[in-house]
Amino acid sequence: MSGSDSTRSDRLSWTRRDMLAQTATMAAGTFASGALVTALADSQRVFGSERPAGPAPVTSTGAGMPAATRVEPMPAPSAGPAPSGKRRQLLLLFQSGGASQLETWDPKPGARTGGPYRAIATSVPGVQIGELLPHCARNLHRLTVLRGVNSGIGDHFQGHYALQAGRVATGYPVIGSAVAKLLERPDDILPGYVSIRRDAPKAYTDVGDAGFLGARYEAVKIVNNRPPANLAAPANVPAAALAAAERARQAADARFRRGRAAAPIDGHDTAFHRARALMQRSELFALEQEPAAAHERYGRHEFGQHCLLARRLIEAGVSCVRVVHFDWDAHQDNFYWHQIRCAEFDRTFITLLDDLSERGLLEHTLVVAVGEMGRTPQINNLGGRDHWGRAWSMAMAGCGVKPGVIHGATNDEGTEVKSGQVKLGDLFHTYLRALGIDSSQMYHVGGQTNPVADPAARPITEVLA
Amino acid sequence: MMTSRLIGFARWRAATRRGRYQGSRCERTPLSALALAVVLLGASGVAQRPAWLSFAGADRFMASPAACGAETTPVAAPVAAPIVAPVAAPVTAPVAAPVAAPVAAPAGVAPPLHQRIDHWIARGWETRGVKAAGRSDDAEFLRRVSLDLNGVIPTADRARRFLEDPDPEKRAKLIDELLASPDYALHMARLFDSLLTERRVATINSYDVAAPAWQAYLAGAFAENRPWDRIVRELLSSDGSEGPIAAGAKFFLVRDVAPHQLTRDVGRLFLGIDLQCAQCHDDPRFDDYRQADYYGIYAFLQRTMSFRDTEKNVSLIGETAKGQATFTSVFTAKAGETQPRLPGGEMLPDPPAEKDKLYLVEPGPKTRGVPAYSRRLLLAERLPRADTPGFARNIANRLWAIMLGRGLIHPLDLTHAGNRPSHPELLGELEQFLVAQAFDMRALLREIALSQTYQRSSEQPEATATAPDADAFAVAALRGLSPEQFAWSLLRAAGRYDASRPDASRPDAAASSAKPDLPPWRQRQKQLEPLERQAKAMASVFAPLPGQPDGEFQPAVDHALFLLNNPAISGLAQSAPTSLAGRLEKIDATPALADELYLSVLGRRATTEERALVDEILANASPSNASPSNASPSNAGPTGAGSTGAGPSNAGPSKAPSAGASPTAGNGTATAAARRDALQGLVWGLMLSAEFRLNH
Repeated sequence: MSGSDSTRSDRLSWTRRDMLAQTATMAAGTFASGALVTALADSQRVFGSERPAGPAPVTSTGAGMPAATRVEPMPAPSAGPAPSGKRRQLLLLFQSGGASQLETWDPKPGARTGGPYRAIATSVPGVQIGELLPHCARNLHRLTVLRGVNSGIGDHFQGHYALQAGRVATGYPVIGSAVAKLLERPDDILPGYVSIRRDAPKAYTDVGDAGFLGARYEAVKIVNNRPPANLAAPANVPAAALAAAERARQAADARFRRGRAAAPIDGHDTAFHRARALMQRSELFALEQEPAAAHERYGRHEFGQHCLLARRLIEAGVSCVRVVHFDWDAHQDNFYWHQIRCAEFDRTFITLLDDLSERGLLEHTLVVAVGEMGRTPQINNLGGRDHWGRAWSMAMAGCGVKPGVIHGATNDEGTEVKSGQVKLGDLFHTYLRALGIDSSQMYHVGGQTNPVADPAARPITEVLA
Repeated sequence: MMTSRLIGFARWRAATRRGRYQGSRCERTPLSALALAVVLLGASGVAQRPAWLSFAGADRFMASPAACGAETTPVAAPVAAPIVAPVAAPVTAPVAAPVAAPVAAPAGVAPPLHQRIDHWIARGWETRGVKAAGRSDDAEFLRRVSLDLNGVIPTADRARRFLEDPDPEKRAKLIDELLASPDYALHMARLFDSLLTERRVATINSYDVAAPAWQAYLAGAFAENRPWDRIVRELLSSDGSEGPIAAGAKFFLVRDVAPHQLTRDVGRLFLGIDLQCAQCHDDPRFDDYRQADYYGIYAFLQRTMSFRDTEKNVSLIGETAKGQATFTSVFTAKAGETQPRLPGGEMLPDPPAEKDKLYLVEPGPKTRGVPAYSRRLLLAERLPRADTPGFARNIANRLWAIMLGRGLIHPLDLTHAGNRPSHPELLGELEQFLVAQAFDMRALLREIALSQTYQRSSEQPEATATAPDADAFAVAALRGLSPEQFAWSLLRAAGRYDASRPDASRPDAAASSAKPDLPPWRQRQKQLEPLERQAKAMASVFAPLPGQPDGEFQPAVDHALFLLNNPAISGLAQSAPTSLAGRLEKIDATPALADELYLSVLGRRATTEERALVDEILANASPSNASPSNASPSNAGPTGAGSTGAGPSNAGPSKAPSAGASPTAGNGTATAAARRDALQGLVWGLMLSAEFRLNH
């Protein structure tokens, strides 16, 4: 692993000039011609081991590539553990503020709404994505892209909640909490859900939580990669005091529990168990243990470094890790901001996939890149794009989904979904199914029965493996 | 069918419990047409269900199937009648109007309010088939009422006196004592600070009102039992410049004097209605939340603006004389215009004014605008009135929730025809009482505290398979202490709260000590000043995000890490001359020591088992177990062990089979150190217990 660090570092340190040169080469040819072969050969040189064996048909409804050409091992469909017997996991890269679909997965070059950037060819023949995502373009055969998301929400707070909870009705657990609950095993010691973000703003990101599942399934919140506060035991407290404290607390709680509503008391107790378990794994947060090359590959920016920690947590077995990637809300200078955001996202996302894949984690980890909304096709007079929930895009990779499938399409200006429309409830079902969870099941919590996912929505079978 | 309806109801309950209903705006309904059909078909089962179930759920469903996503249009609620009609609930009064005394009280003298509270609550149990818990024991009651009225647990001395007091009237006397205490004013000031500001702080656009001034304003108001209508009038009319109500401008300033935020929060906090959705369109879920209502409130506030006095470093509230409230529905494109108007009230047109007489002071870069006719002052005059629909009901409901942990209308800011009060007649009575008592909040809190309903135990009656629903008020709720209650109670348990008060157990003694020129609440505040920063720091760990109301108890891992590992907490349990651990060190006999410990932290005596536990832990505290700072603080005790689990350090040779092992002579210092460690652990452990963390 470490031996390949420098190589990888080299191959990922593309300048914008390289990128555009590469783009030009790829865009120059027609897709049926020898130019494509050149492009793919180039792609093979760069990402040799992961190039598809050859061109494969892709349809907007997601027929996908023939099995023989699929790069990632396919886990068993729907329910059940991954082939290795390992628990499936979720890595959620949340693009807070709302990424523009037009600058990323669904470019409309030349259209009135298209903006200045070009589209580039990808490793999936016949499919182009925005030129700001060159690494994704070369790896598109590993990704699953939805171009027909219609969530109907153009509000940050509501979007953050709804896109993670799979419905607009409040009080439900977000996907991270749901996964923590549904994939929980009795012998777990680590928290089921960890969320990583920078320090501010927190208003949007902290919308939504475990809902009726309760604090046990709340995210442990990591800010700026700092270990959770108070993770180390106090230095000056004698062991005898610690032991006496624990006994006195347990005895008081045992007495207090008799005849009283169990939920708040158990919740209080559980928080202590979780806290102690986390204290014993404090090395997880020691990013200095990672080689410098790893820091480079992930990118020396907030999102990159946060993803590096996320990989360690996924490796350690946390059921769901969420990384919040901030500042996509480009009401002004959209094209400038997307250049920066996409550069961060593009390289780090693919690095993550490479790392997870090399460690054998990707076969049981679903990686989802989504925000709370897309951005308006209309470009406003500040060169920005505004809030938009009607026709936007997102991407997934890893377990349970079909790689190389581009599902759904929008019209020429990107103002409406033309085919393959999916709603936010459908996304939630799909994540669960890709994680091997029966999304039609019910929660039974505190005497109440609640559907895990919106019963009116359904999994997107076209993209499920 | 029955099951489906129950599921639907549970979803609704889950969705509304948290009070964050704003999240559900602007999207298609959570209930699909399919689910709705299920609900409708389920109507045939109505007769078998308890009335309350069909009632609240059905209305809510009927009101909700609509949407405001760009591609959808509001769906007319199909056939509401089959669900709503057959319900024989004792609920008839619409929530929008005060209920006209429907009490089946005997002619002549009406029973006091606290008895009528019990009457209505008990009547609810009949219709629900609920079995109520028994009366709380004295210790349970003392702790609860001390937290609710004074914001802090009782001292061990106060607990001992109360438990030993044979007076049958001692509970009523205690309630009056607490309501008269300076701690009442300080507690209510903290409570209403978080209620009114929701822990917001002004952004860089405004200078905030200094925290001490704001606290002093609120505490002074509660100390003199200022009526609620007057407080609200002061908050809405303060311009922040000078005088006794200057600090009231905080209500505007922490919201950056943003008219839309103010409109929403005036509705939520003073009228119990969250009109957020109606900013853009009539609320598709509730017929009574109209866009015109939203802009009626907005029209009062839209001309208000912040004025920064950069010389004095204060922000003031200014106002222009121009601006009309116009609005357009994003659904229907229907446009409207409104003068100031409160929901359910009359339009209040501006008086005619000559163009050159619009201002008393023209607004300018260096001057704060003062219009000749102020819509903001009109709001301050018109809103806090008994006849403003919702005004009295809102504060009645909020005071009830403060005491019982849940509103009669719940969530507190979601009053509408589809979200009926659990006990409409009772809410009507509370409202009428407040109006008749000129918005005397202390009087209402007193009546609630006197009720059997408030004094019920949190132990469920035996043989109940499932806990009664929270809105039956049949069992006292387990509620998390507010961040401030928790912090101040930790300080009291540790002995710090009362360290500066030589005879803390006697309120009269405290009042007579020095500085007679200051009002009692101010003296108490001065006594507590050295602890203020520490209390705030601890409270902030448990506080919700700015802009969020204090919600349900949600223990989190970071809370637990703070309690386990932050020196601020373990330090509270350390031995010091005035600390609890220090006091305990001087007590030799275990029963007395255990009682002092449990009374100080949990407000009750130790049980037999707990005395034995204390005995055993102290007996095992031999020098070999004493661990000065060089000992490795291995990560605490048994994480998964039950209450009988022994700590890791108990494996030493000193682990005596019985509690009789006494410290060996000749090793006095080490023994004392070991005993000190054990005492610190005992104090700390009880502070970390669920019993301490919860109000029960």
